[in-house]
Amino acid sequence: MIRHETSLFSRLALRVTLILSFGAALMISAAWYYGRSAANQTFDHLLLGAALQMAGSLSIEDGKLTASLPQSAFEMLGLAPEDRIFYRLIDTEGQTLTGYGDLAGYIDYTAARQKPVFLNDEYRGTPVRLVVVSRVLSDPPLSGWAYVLVAQTTAARSELTQEITGRAMLLVALMSALALAATILAVRYSLQPITALGEMISRRDPQDLTPLTLNAPKELRPFLGSINHFMERLDQRVVLLQRFIADAAHQIRTPLTALSAQIDMLDEREVSPAGLQSVERIRTRTNELSRLTGQLLSHAMVIHRASTVNLEKVDLVLIARQAYRTAIPITVNPDIVVSFEADQPQLWVAGDVVSLREAIVNLISNALCHGSVALLAVRVGVAEGRAQVEITDDGPGIPPEKWPLVVKRFMTTKASEGSTGLGFSIAVEVATAHGGEIGFREKLPDRCFSVLLTIPLWQEERD
Amino acid sequence: MRLPVLWAAFGLMMAAPLSASAAEGVTSSFPAPGKESGRLKIIGAMDTTAILPLINGFQAENPGVSVEYSDYVTNDLYEEADAACRRGESIADVLVSSSVDHLVRLANDGCARPHRSALTDPVPDWMQWRNEVYGFTHEPAVLIYHSDFVDPEDVPRSHADLADLLRRKPTVFFRRIGTYDLRASGIGYLLAYLDSQLAPTIYGRLVESMSRVEAGLYCCNSEVLREVEAGRLFIGYNILGSYAYAAQRRNPKLRISVMRDYTHILSRGAMLPKYAGSGDLGGRFLDYLLSPQGKATAEKEGISFPWEDPQVSGITLPPSPLGSGVGRPIRIGPSLLVTQDKLGRDRFIADWTAIMVDSRSLQAGPVWSNYE
Repeated sequence: MIRHETSLFSRLALRVTLILSFGAALMISAAWYYGRSAANQTFDHLLLGAALQMAGSLSIEDGKLTASLPQSAFEMLGLAPEDRIFYRLIDTEGQTLTGYGDLAGYIDYTAARQKPVFLNDEYRGTPVRLVVVSRVLSDPPLSGWAYVLVAQTTAARSELTQEITGRAMLLVALMSALALAATILAVRYSLQPITALGEMISRRDPQDLTPLTLNAPKELRPFLGSINHFMERLDQRVVLLQRFIADAAHQIRTPLTALSAQIDMLDEREVSPAGLQSVERIRTRTNELSRLTGQLLSHAMVIHRASTVNLEKVDLVLIARQAYRTAIPITVNPDIVVSFEADQPQLWVAGDVVSLREAIVNLISNALCHGSVALLAVRVGVAEGRAQVEITDDGPGIPPEKWPLVVKRFMTTKASEGSTGLGFSIAVEVATAHGGEIGFREKLPDRCFSVLLTIPLWQEERD
Repeated sequence: MRLPVLWAAFGLMMAAPLSASAAEGVTSSFPAPGKESGRLKIIGAMDTTAILPLINGFQAENPGVSVEYSDYVTNDLYEEADAACRRGESIADVLVSSSVDHLVRLANDGCARPHRSALTDPVPDWMQWRNEVYGFTHEPAVLIYHSDFVDPEDVPRSHADLADLLRRKPTVFFRRIGTYDLRASGIGYLLAYLDSQLAPTIYGRLVESMSRVEAGLYCCNSEVLREVEAGRLFIGYNILGSYAYAAQRRNPKLRISVMRDYTHILSRGAMLPKYAGSGDLGGRFLDYLLSPQGKATAEKEGISFPWEDPQVSGITLPPSPLGSGVGRPIRIGPSLLVTQDKLGRDRFIADWTAIMVDSRSLQAGPVWSNYE
């Protein structure tokens, strides 16, 4: 499923931007339309006013139609200062009385008898807006309809339209920008739980397969439920696997014991010297196998206890001492100086006796097997408000760059020496289950290498 | 006796106006001071002597341009320009006229070419229209009188004063006042029309009074001024301030009275015709007219009225000339189109003629005019 997929955020942002752009275009078109009709209305009123004034100036003198155009009509039209003005007065005979005789000669003026007629026209190569108004004259010598045509070029209208549209565009652009910003913020905010969930999962201890508890929004709950369901199944599988390993180890132990007994019962005198060597090798390997099986069992036991047994108030000094006795065999190499030291007679911690002992035993065994040349010291004390068991040996130690590796399961720094590497792993499991950790102290020319097991002290106010 | 001659002269004037006056309709050439690189053709309703300083100033800045100037009466200038525009022909590179309503009408009919430059931008709105018609001076329409014949206490300070004076002393001023003949002079018509709009009652009284004293009617400023200078006329009415000022400088006996009730302030207009020949020469001349140098020259040479001189200028321009002061600027814009309505114009002139000319001919005395 390696497919390039854009982020939720960019998908949302893209769609919102598209919708906003579409809306903005729509609104700008509407603004242009309204701006144009507003400009048309405004200037149409002026045009009509001027035309009516001109029509009002028509009079009959000596039986002849005449007009004295009012200056105010032109001043009114002059409110569109850049626009040219054309007019034409038509008498009752349909003849041009005054003005531009060729203005809109083709139109039917009679339509203006009902009400003023506006139309867009072109005059002398320039687009104009034209109005026709009528005036009925009913003097005995002269009766009929007279018409006034007034046309004006459209510069002021266009300018007003542009101004209105321009301002509307500015507003729309501003609003769109605001809406976009708000959307981005909203999207970021609503995507936060996803990020939080991701962080929670990645922060999680790999061993922890308990359900996620997160105050997730409704939309995320199916997702969270799937994760939890998946983890539950994984947890069941892991438990099953652990049980299988424990069972397998247990099953292997019986034939292994029998095998060891058989090897011990071999009559060495009946075996050739070469065979003896082989027998010795078989014995060594069998011992390793026994230890590995034991460790596997104890590992399974520790994990089982970590998830089932409640921590109680226990004495770490006592546990460490028991572990020390268990781990140091009676047949320990007499060249090695072993010592146990406790800073105080009792050190109360919250722990599980069996697990803790197993962990310390494993750490001491590791030191004996892989480290100690002439020194092994176990010390129990308090450091930085936490209980600490320190196992020191004068061996080569573990270089710092390998520290993260050795705490992993089945990992060892000495792959060829038949060690199983489970020891550290068990100790780490136990430390983690107790809310503590396994640490190391680097080997320096004047200091020996130490392994540190640190766990919290018993707190009285704990429930 | 003189009547037929007069009417013949009238007819002649209508048919061939260029012959009406020796000073008008004349074309003068001003060769380029330097090597000629262009020819600028100007048609104007300004005396050649009046515009000469501006042409010289322009040529000083553009030594490669030779200028040809034709002096027309305002009405003829409009007719010619309108006819040329309809034919789509080039008549000149620049038109200059004090009758700005003609220029506005030409611009309205699409016969003008817009011109914009750094010099046209500061021109106030009321002194330009559509970037096509520009006013480049502002000068009042004043009254000029000969101080030998008009007593100081009789000097009219308002239009009503003038009407009263003519009524009070009809014998003194009989045939001693001169003004425009509206039939020939576009600027005369414009000023009279605006008088009638601004103060209809006083206008009526004034026309009637002038008719009664048989006012002399002339085509142009210069004619009236010549007569006043010669002492044949005592008062010249609605004379453009710059001409009056120039005349006063020539002859200190002539005095200027700026009316205190209202005074029209007129801008001489300049315009580039739509069909013009020599590239941007017209625009360059227009720019020169609007430039500080051009304005200074116009003031210095009496083309523009010297507002700063309190001796002649009884009024001062208000800070905003459009404010309701004594000075009434004539706004260059579409409202001037009304003066160009043929019907209205014909009626106005007919009414005026009926009072100023016809009523006289019905009476005993002869019509007294300059077209003799």
